[in-house]
Amino acid sequence: MRGFTISDFLTMLAAVQWTATLVVLALAFGAPLALLLARMCTGRSRIARLVATGILQLVQGVPVLGLLMFFYFGMPVFLGIKVPALVSVGAAFTIFTAAFLGEIWRGGIQAVHVAQGEAAACLGLTRWQTFRHVIAPQAFRIALPATVGFLVQLIKNTSLASVVGFVELARAGQLASAATFQPLLSYACVAAIYFALCFPLTLWSRSLEDKLNGAR
Amino acid sequence: MALVEISNVHKSFGEVEVLRGIDLTVEKGEIVTIIGRSGSGKSTLLRCINGLEQINGGEIKVAGELVHSRSTDLRKLREHVGIVFQQFNLFPHMTVARNITLAPVLTGKIAKGDAARELARKVLAQVGLEEKIDAYPGQLSGGQQQRVAIARCLAMSPYLMLFDEVTSALDPELVGEVLKVMEDLATQGMTMILVTHEMNFARNVASKLVFMHAGMVHEEGRPADLFANPATPELANFISSVR
Amino acid sequence: MLQLNFNQLWRYQDEFLHGMSLTLLLTLVATVAGLAIGLAGAAAAGSRFAALRLLVRSYVEVIRNTPALIQLFLIFFVLPYAGLRLPPVYAAATALSIYMGAYATEIIRGGLASIPRSQVEAGQCLGLTRWQVFRHVILPPALRNIYPSITSQIVLLLLGTSLASQVSAPELFHAAAFVESRTFRSFEVYAVVCAIYFTLVLAFRLAFAGIGRIAFRWPTGR
Repeated sequence: MRGFTISDFLTMLAAVQWTATLVVLALAFGAPLALLLARMCTGRSRIARLVATGILQLVQGVPVLGLLMFFYFGMPVFLGIKVPALVSVGAAFTIFTAAFLGEIWRGGIQAVHVAQGEAAACLGLTRWQTFRHVIAPQAFRIALPATVGFLVQLIKNTSLASVVGFVELARAGQLASAATFQPLLSYACVAAIYFALCFPLTLWSRSLEDKLNGAR
Repeated sequence: MALVEISNVHKSFGEVEVLRGIDLTVEKGEIVTIIGRSGSGKSTLLRCINGLEQINGGEIKVAGELVHSRSTDLRKLREHVGIVFQQFNLFPHMTVARNITLAPVLTGKIAKGDAARELARKVLAQVGLEEKIDAYPGQLSGGQQQRVAIARCLAMSPYLMLFDEVTSALDPELVGEVLKVMEDLATQGMTMILVTHEMNFARNVASKLVFMHAGMVHEEGRPADLFANPATPELANFISSVR
Repeated sequence: MLQLNFNQLWRYQDEFLHGMSLTLLLTLVATVAGLAIGLAGAAAAGSRFAALRLLVRSYVEVIRNTPALIQLFLIFFVLPYAGLRLPPVYAAATALSIYMGAYATEIIRGGLASIPRSQVEAGQCLGLTRWQVFRHVILPPALRNIYPSITSQIVLLLLGTSLASQVSAPELFHAAAFVESRTFRSFEVYAVVCAIYFTLVLAFRLAFAGIGRIAFRWPTGR
């Protein structure tokens, strides 16, 4: 047994890079998927709408912990090979991001769609042109506060990767707690670091929201 | 004793002085119409009369009671002073009957049940909307909603009614039905103070006309006299601008 | 390559059922306690005392900007220091209630603020007391406004109870870990558990939609 020292705290800070890695991976792969799902949900094809809505409902209807386990144990079963934890955890958060961002962006697109879509159609734009130049920019503005708000959710949820042993910030806290027998101090530090990451984003999201409401 | 006595009332919002020494008396049975440009303080004065706004100087007495005094039970006073708002302010989650009987029942004026429903039916008949007794406000037109709002006031059997630009939020074709209800009230002897832009109503129904300008009572008198011979260029300008 | 085998899991029906009942119980307790905290919090957020307002603000922000898992660990380890040696379920229920309370505070505060001032004035002008105005004029429409957010928050809470498994509270997810350790059919176990959660979520959503339709009948708009 040893005391909790500054080096424990520094180890935690270093672990933030793995939290960040997860967030970047989830966004890099999840955001395009989210856009695809959002467009499918708001598109003309009935089948596409059904499939996309089903995926959104399904992913939003299971615990993130369940999603993690599903990929952690499922990828080896389906692919027949062992994959590094980073891959399976990354895949789980990609799907998580795709579903939740997809839902947010669907809402944004639908908020603009009806009135503006008709106006654009009257101007003779194609459907892609309408989306690209008329709907997307406005939908982006409407959905931006919630998108930033989702970032906070994503960061907080990456803490669950600790459950399958992936060493990010939360796991670093568990390790420090076990090594020093100072759970309170360890977890308080972890919480403080998460807060320092999330709170500025929350404030940003809120100011975007105020601006959006003010502009209306 | 006059029903409403307003003397030297001052009222500021922050730096801006909206009312700058208002004097006005209203006798029982009088119908007083307050006109003036927007920003002249008309609505603020009305809201001061039933204590919705605090005042910074002077005094307002309703039925001999000081409105802005700690010892006055504003709640009791308001049971007798009805106000109808520009935006109707009906309660969207209650039926018309419930909107009307909520206050009489809660303040113990009338029992729940048949008596309350009878009261609702009676005041709705006064505004010609008996058949809407079980409708929700969201199912009514603006004119109908405003008539229900008037009925809601009548259910408290007030001795004074205040009308704050009650037709301003209505589509033009719905204004008439509301004015008709107000005319009926006037002929029944209700004491009324109105802020309005309806010059015909001011000319034909009101017993006194008050022209407010820059936070003061600029001119007051019989409507016919004021419309025919405005004493000041401000009123003359105003009359010609709304004509 | 695919060798899925769900047959062995049938023998563990009881474990899953027990877990599920605790999951539902945790959801219920945290919902009730969280709403109570939320009501108090929303009232305090509108208080005259700046210190009280700051306290509520800090509570809401700290909870909403840190992971629930870490909150759970903190509570789990704090309670013994306070002399409370409680079973893990109680620690989990406490943590989830505090978590739900922060979100409920924010939702309820927003719902009350969404009622226009003019509605309050209309109530006052009819001679109603402050309490009567709150009870009859503000509360019903405010409830309607917050209903969608509160119910989706309850669904998130239902899913969030799975965290309790991490302090060994024997709810559904914990039952899954147990069955996994017996059968070594990891993937199948978690697939089944996900299906159960999904079914519960679906049932919750349907129930909420039905209740909402019955409770809030008045037409909106205009």
